[in-house]
Amino acid sequence: MVELDQLKQELKKLNVEAGKIREIAVEKRAEFGRKLNLRKREILARIAEAERAALDVEVQPIDVTAWSGVNEPLPELYPTLQGSRHPLMTELDRVTEIYQMMGFEVVESQQLDDEYHMFDTLNFAKDHPARDGYDTFRTEEGLIPPAHTSTMQNRVLKRYRKQLEGRGTLAVVVPGRVYRNEDVDATHEHTFYQCEGVYVSRDCNMGQMLGILKEFFEKYYEQKLNIRTQPGYFPFTEPSLEFMIEKPKSLGGKKGDFLEMLGCGMIHPNVLKMAGIDPEEYHGFAWGGGIDRLVMLRYGLDDVRYFESGNLNFLREFG
Amino acid sequence: MKISLNWLKKYVKIPESVSNEELIRLIGSRLVEVEGVIDETHKYDNIYIVRVETCEKIPDTHLTLCQINVGDSGLVQVVCGAPNVREGMLAVWIAPGAIVPASVHEDAPFVIGKRKMQGYESNGMLAGADELDFGEDHSGIVEIEPETAVPGDKLADVFELNDLILEIENKSLTHRPDCFGIIGFAREVAGVLGAKFEPARILAETSVKKAFSATRAITISISSPNICQRYTALILEKHGEMKAKYLTWVDTVLSKSGMKPISPIVDATNYLMLLTGQPLHAFDYDKFVAVGGKDKPEIVVRLARAGEKLILLDDTEVELNENDIVICSGETPVALAGAMGGKSTMIDENTKNIILESATFSLYNLRKTQMAHGIFSEAVTRFTKGQPPYQTLAVAEACAEMLADGFKVTGGADEYPQPERPNAVDRRSSVGRRFEEENKFSSCSSPTTVKITTEEINGLLGTDYDEKSIAQTLENVGFGVKSKRNELEILAPLWRTDIHIKEDITEEVGRLNGYDNIEPTLPLHATAEKNEMWELKKQIRNTLARFGANEVLTYSFVSGRLLERVGQDVKNSYRIVNSISPELQYIRQSLTPSLLEKTYLNEKLPVEKFAIFEMNQVYCKEWGVDAEKVPAGRMKLGLVVAERKNPETAFYKAKLYAAKLFSELNISAEFVPIKRVEAESKPYEPKRTAEILIDGEYVGVVGEFKNSVRSEFKLAPYVAGFEIDLELVKNQARSTREIKFGAKKKEDVTITTDRTYAEVLRELKDKYPEATITPGTIYQAPGQKNRNITFHIEY
Repeated sequence: MVELDQLKQELKKLNVEAGKIREIAVEKRAEFGRKLNLRKREILARIAEAERAALDVEVQPIDVTAWSGVNEPLPELYPTLQGSRHPLMTELDRVTEIYQMMGFEVVESQQLDDEYHMFDTLNFAKDHPARDGYDTFRTEEGLIPPAHTSTMQNRVLKRYRKQLEGRGTLAVVVPGRVYRNEDVDATHEHTFYQCEGVYVSRDCNMGQMLGILKEFFEKYYEQKLNIRTQPGYFPFTEPSLEFMIEKPKSLGGKKGDFLEMLGCGMIHPNVLKMAGIDPEEYHGFAWGGGIDRLVMLRYGLDDVRYFESGNLNFLREFG
Repeated sequence: MKISLNWLKKYVKIPESVSNEELIRLIGSRLVEVEGVIDETHKYDNIYIVRVETCEKIPDTHLTLCQINVGDSGLVQVVCGAPNVREGMLAVWIAPGAIVPASVHEDAPFVIGKRKMQGYESNGMLAGADELDFGEDHSGIVEIEPETAVPGDKLADVFELNDLILEIENKSLTHRPDCFGIIGFAREVAGVLGAKFEPARILAETSVKKAFSATRAITISISSPNICQRYTALILEKHGEMKAKYLTWVDTVLSKSGMKPISPIVDATNYLMLLTGQPLHAFDYDKFVAVGGKDKPEIVVRLARAGEKLILLDDTEVELNENDIVICSGETPVALAGAMGGKSTMIDENTKNIILESATFSLYNLRKTQMAHGIFSEAVTRFTKGQPPYQTLAVAEACAEMLADGFKVTGGADEYPQPERPNAVDRRSSVGRRFEEENKFSSCSSPTTVKITTEEINGLLGTDYDEKSIAQTLENVGFGVKSKRNELEILAPLWRTDIHIKEDITEEVGRLNGYDNIEPTLPLHATAEKNEMWELKKQIRNTLARFGANEVLTYSFVSGRLLERVGQDVKNSYRIVNSISPELQYIRQSLTPSLLEKTYLNEKLPVEKFAIFEMNQVYCKEWGVDAEKVPAGRMKLGLVVAERKNPETAFYKAKLYAAKLFSELNISAEFVPIKRVEAESKPYEPKRTAEILIDGEYVGVVGEFKNSVRSEFKLAPYVAGFEIDLELVKNQARSTREIKFGAKKKEDVTITTDRTYAEVLRELKDKYPEATITPGTIYQAPGQKNRNITFHIEY
């Protein structure tokens, strides 16, 4: 309080001083005014700070070891009906549960990574234009909030290499939050979720990749599905494809109405090599796709911006 | 990229059994992602070629009254405002009832009618290029070359305008520079259809190399082959007037491909770029020589020097950097290589002689140039895919041929400092043959071949293609194949700079035959271990939802202001240098500030009472980096309870949520007055906040927020929350619960005291060591110092 009073006094003095500007030689007035304003701003900031502190001084302490306030009833939880899980998380849990049933382990992606994992270990040539396709954010240190869950491929391959040598297979899915420098609109978010899959064995092939993906989507949508592919390009898979499913009837799909679900392909030998796996001995396949679209489709949502809105009128619909 | 199906079909024969729909499906499933199809099959309906039979000026106006011959239905009267209308010309007539083509994609397409102008009836209109959607020229009406059509012909038939335009997703062709030209695209389409591609004739058979020693001399010097592999220049000298400007096939395909007709010279370079993938550039020869200050052109290709400036074609001045490749006339930069030409050597209507550039540049440099100067032209899009150098001369010659009416080749040079031996020479193509003849390969390394077995191909794909069909598939698109007993030795064609390893060959075989023909199968493998953190989060999510709380997700990026508002040090947050906005500039250090923002939003909605929670990673520079030198994140759980009107103490609600959750996880947690300060505890009021301990170890905080914070976020008084480190909780979570059977005694004990709840509880526990003690209410009479604390005891 004392400090606050002092500061207010100082401010008053400063205002008086400012009134004297006419007494100062014209050529020096600008400099005089500038200095004065600087001090004034500083004092105002300190006053704001002191006022904030004053707010906090008034607060009465409570017994934090107790379970209710004095003369207050014991608090209760809110009714279960009011609660809800986030639809993206509910679906991501379902997605990983299906993959777990199919023998895949779950490794969560990280939210800040480096150029090495995001690009170098994935066979992107240095300074190659393909790196531009990902619209990455960067920190001052050159770190990258990852633009795809593939940023975890090298780590996963290394972490499970021993298991691969022992059991003959490596099967992991990587759910995670990813980021792209994109303007936000109804169908674009700068923050969204993906799920990556990685599978390595001695004799795996593209037919098995298609089999696993078909099985997954049929389990997810609880019905038989028609699938289709188209060639794609990712430096870290060779061959690379886009995987599509015919839109399920239960979601209003018509015949021939194909939806692009994810990118996939046989892991490039260089990617295996960089993780210390001999590409002469082992082959692998990998895929990655967005979760947000899957969820929008399932619930018939038309605006991706709801997901990060924190709006309870939206979220409580999923109770 | 836009691809006209009619244009494509000029270079690849599509069997009649393959419908357009099927063709597009095959392109989509075996070549490239087709983002969309623009249907132009009716864009030019009711538009005809007509002959203007009579012209009569309408007095005191710029209008002309014309009688036009529209074929079988005789003469029709039209009023025309164009200055170039004249008797005898062939023009284009938009009949009454037709839609103006340039407006077909607008919300309200413009339908031409019958109307009176200055008292004269006008039936439809004679069209200008802009109205027909062939560029922006509005200076007059379009004229059709005599002999190419007769009155009454449909415009669409003469120029093959009933077309489907494919919109191609460029990203899926990042590795295929050859497919950025119609010819390369057509080659792939042939392959997809299982047919052998017949090389195009567009690239001239005859060599003009003799012209290199002809009358006009030109020199080229390349400072390093790393920035420019090959630079070909032809000098074209004007010897006559170009034909009158008729509407041409070139105009229509440029328009269909998303470019605009500009002038015969520019159009020829653009047309050939779209056709072959090789960008061309035309300099004004005389301006070029004048800038250089010598008597002949000296082309220098080098990196720019810092501080050099250049005014581009579009009048913008760019400050060059040391990564930019520039074309110089002697010492002076005159073009930003691969990206855009310069103003000082630009061709215009007075241009007499041309230097035609056909070159390749380093895609790495051009990628940076593109970013640094924000230039995203059709040319730079092609160069950044890595155009191979094999066809520069042939494409330049084709351009000379297109301009042969008005220009002849009088000189040229072809600088190719380190010719690379192509992987394979396609001897069926004249370009391939000539490439081999013209370049002495003695100093080059031997060609790269890929050796692979049919087992390897089938093993990776899960197919059983035989040797013959694999060889056929590859030969269809120009690969050279030698095979013996299931072993294949494969030479990639000149334009396939992306073929290096076995997997590249496997991709071609799988793709061209259709991945959809691969049988999906399921492999057998071992069972999976659970991910403890993932399972813990799932359990927390289900529990808190059952407790009536709502899970939210909020951005990982926050504003510096938000960090300051809760007293967190901005310097401790990783800062995004290319953030979308200041609101999303820093990576957050804790979840609580984001939750407080959402609390405000929901109180405003209004929602009366709620608990929101989030589980997500946060980062703080103080926490350092992991073994891989990547910052270590922490997985947190944050929860905030808030009510718009409640006079009670919010702290105890938040604490209840935390305590019930831990009990559900079979963890015994302790709540003690807070002593430490962590990033997550910054917004919390120490006098009303507890530390949460498990086995004496700190795992997080629960409390109310500082008044200053609450007022910053404009929140109602009843608000509290907690933030917990889940990594620390994970190791404590147990899946089994201890179950006690048997009868229980119940009793309530009330103690009058001025001590804290915890101190009294400790005493009671000594007295009833086996009992379960749960809290009752706390009563304090007005004016009394002591409180009555009630406990429920079961034993």
